[in-house]
Amino acid sequence: MIEFKDVRASYERSLPILKGVSFAIRDGEFVAFAGTNGAGKSTAMRLVNGLLKPDAGEVLIDGVPTTALRTSELARRVGFLFQNPDRQICCSTVREELLFGFRALGAADADAEARVDAVIEEFGFAPDDDPFLLNRGARQLLALASVAVLEPSVLVLDEPTTGLDFRECEKVMGIVRGIHARGATVVMVCHDMEVVADYAKRCIVMSDGRVVADGPVFEVLRDHAVLGRASLVPPQIVDISLVLAAESPRLAGTPVARANTVEEMVEAVAAEAGRAGAGAGEVAGEAGVAAAGGAAGEGARRGHCASVRASKSRRVP
Amino acid sequence: MIRITDFSFRYREGAAPAVSGVSLAIGRGEFVGVTGAAGSGKSTLAYAMNGIVPHCYPGDFYGSVEVDGMDTCEAALTDVSCVVGSVCQDVESQFVTSVVEDEVLYGLENFAVPRGEIESRLTRALADMGIADLRERAIASLSGGQKQKVAIASVLALRPKVLVLDEPTAELDPASSLSVFDLLARYARQHGTAVVVVEQKIALLARYADALVVMEEGRIRFADAPAAVLSHDEELVRIGVGCPRSTTLVNRLRAAGVCSGRAARTVREACDVVKEAVA
Amino acid sequence: MSSFLEYVPGDSMLHRLNPVAKLGAAALFAVACFCSGSLAFLAVLLAAGFLLAASCGMVRQTLGLARAVLAFSLVLAVVQLLTTPAGAQLAPLPWGYIGTGGLLAALTTVVRLVAAAIPLFLVFYATKLNDLTNAAVKVLRVPYRYAFAFTSTVRFIPVFMNDMKGIMEAQTARGVEFDTGGMVKKARLMVPLCVPLLVSSVRKTNSAAIAAEVRGFNLRTVDSGYKGYPLAVRDVAALAACALLVAVSVALGAAG
Repeated sequence: MIEFKDVRASYERSLPILKGVSFAIRDGEFVAFAGTNGAGKSTAMRLVNGLLKPDAGEVLIDGVPTTALRTSELARRVGFLFQNPDRQICCSTVREELLFGFRALGAADADAEARVDAVIEEFGFAPDDDPFLLNRGARQLLALASVAVLEPSVLVLDEPTTGLDFRECEKVMGIVRGIHARGATVVMVCHDMEVVADYAKRCIVMSDGRVVADGPVFEVLRDHAVLGRASLVPPQIVDISLVLAAESPRLAGTPVARANTVEEMVEAVAAEAGRAGAGAGEVAGEAGVAAAGGAAGEGARRGHCASVRASKSRRVP
Repeated sequence: MIRITDFSFRYREGAAPAVSGVSLAIGRGEFVGVTGAAGSGKSTLAYAMNGIVPHCYPGDFYGSVEVDGMDTCEAALTDVSCVVGSVCQDVESQFVTSVVEDEVLYGLENFAVPRGEIESRLTRALADMGIADLRERAIASLSGGQKQKVAIASVLALRPKVLVLDEPTAELDPASSLSVFDLLARYARQHGTAVVVVEQKIALLARYADALVVMEEGRIRFADAPAAVLSHDEELVRIGVGCPRSTTLVNRLRAAGVCSGRAARTVREACDVVKEAVA
Repeated sequence: MSSFLEYVPGDSMLHRLNPVAKLGAAALFAVACFCSGSLAFLAVLLAAGFLLAASCGMVRQTLGLARAVLAFSLVLAVVQLLTTPAGAQLAPLPWGYIGTGGLLAALTTVVRLVAAAIPLFLVFYATKLNDLTNAAVKVLRVPYRYAFAFTSTVRFIPVFMNDMKGIMEAQTARGVEFDTGGMVKKARLMVPLCVPLLVSSVRKTNSAAIAAEVRGFNLRTVDSGYKGYPLAVRDVAALAACALLVAVSVALGAAG
């Protein structure tokens, strides 16, 4: 359980960064923080693991204020992946790097060694590689592994996908999803709204040091007022459904205006297209074609939209 | 403007060539996006255009890279720099001064731009990047997006014929990334400057670039208009590039027989496709 | 948020002085501090330093700096205290005694160092580094290459300090306890961190060099600078005033 109670924070008592932030994150949640650079997201993350202490208000981890705990004690519960893996990596081999956390916590025993070996196996690392010679994506993966190996109950990620290519991003986030599935609470700051939509369940939007929205990802990312205030660009499918709902009265209120994923949108549009076809008096095809059906591709190559629509549309009950 | 012929390059410490057998032509005023998975050679390709390869990173250079008729391998880096403006990946470390105005002045002074012209070029470059009001500010006090714009303005002031940027939006939030691309695209149109952007964010490239170059293991896999490249969505995902969701959506709709036509690059285009499909 | 030695924009007297004159005057001021042994005179100089800081609105930075210099000079002062058996005895030591003379000498050292440091640091806060180099190149005819090396070094100090802070933060988050234990333990914990710092510094200096080169670093000459840095009356006045301070200081030393 992570609780922020009217937290105010600043760096070296200069400009206030957080201006009264409150929220509670229950165990096992997957929460994304969104907002522009400078909105206070990273500062909030630093407060979670005690790198920064609040000027006013309280940050509670499992009911204990971070001010009452040493950062090293917090490190056992809260794993933190920084945006730049190069700041974290400091050992000369991958294996040493993975053991480093246990050493720092004074727990480098046989059990730790076994866990390190298991992680090396799971991530497919070469244990004797020099971390500094790995490429950016592999270093990020190693930094994540060296946090994950400690099995913290809370995992904090500060822009985990920045600078990674598509494949590396999928890999890193896949592992994060696995860690979450094993019961860890995951809190991440992320600029890529597609990643937020794909992985997080809840989204907290910050703007100018305050929380401006907090709720299920898609509810928050569909809120025009929130998007405008925090200059967020919603994930593309959500954006498409919002634009369609606004521009086409016929689609407002239909599943098209509510679709969040590519799959939902394909299904919804296919249904609407079918309805349109039926409404126009064309013969609706008998065979209900699944949204992204493979054989249907051939129909597309024939090229004529209207006829394709007629033959492939789904009968509307 | 840029003519790359059968270009290959192997870094001195590298075992395999970073780029091999690349040929590419980029015209005046074109906005070209270069993308690819990590290690696909996209940065090396950009470095070859601005002369950083082979002048700063030695290695084996094959073929030729010509910019505005000048061979970048034979010409001195300073001469290449007169034609090609470069913005490197880590803007933070490339500032040579601490105030915006001085940063833009730096290149102007070095390339001996006539005194009478300096002020107008300075104001113009700042205006083109939409940061005229930041002129007196200390660079350290700026946000990431503003810093990026200062770095670009300090190069634009030199009026290069080609602008090469290496991942200009890597550290920026979506709103600032969008604004940087907006300004670059407008600049390319207005001044006929060829702009080459190495970028990971495919959705931005798809929306703004006139042409998309996709690299795979040192070779060009695709080089075409974005819509044409994006129609190969499965292939793109396979080589680690990914696709904008708008494109995936329209491609799936086409596969499902709901619509036809070419690949959508943007949310706007996808919306139009859907509207037409349900009309 | 400005960090160590980073330019703070402003419009004070100190900001407007010619960069070279400013630096020269600050150097003279420091010389004056070292020429005099009079505690009263040094106290006046210290007060003058703070007045100067107040005039350009940098009291906060100055206090921070004074604290840092104080910590450093205290070490020297303690050594002095223990090794200067002079004046009335206050406490006996196996090899002599701590006396009022030693106490006075130690106090003088502290005040002297702090007083000498303040104007020098204020100059860095109130001068764009770029102006300093350009003025040095134009007025003093320093070769640009050296001037650039100097500015780059100073400019990278906050960058590296920021890096170091980030690295320590990352390690703290992994459970390394920088906050407990003595100096030796802390130093031992810091050693492995030098690797990431070194890696990032090499990378940064390399990309900085490339960035300067592609913007015509090699073409730059004495005449390249767009801005001129003529010496004004106030610059001469400032230099003269500080030279006078040195004279007074020497005179006081001779008289005492």
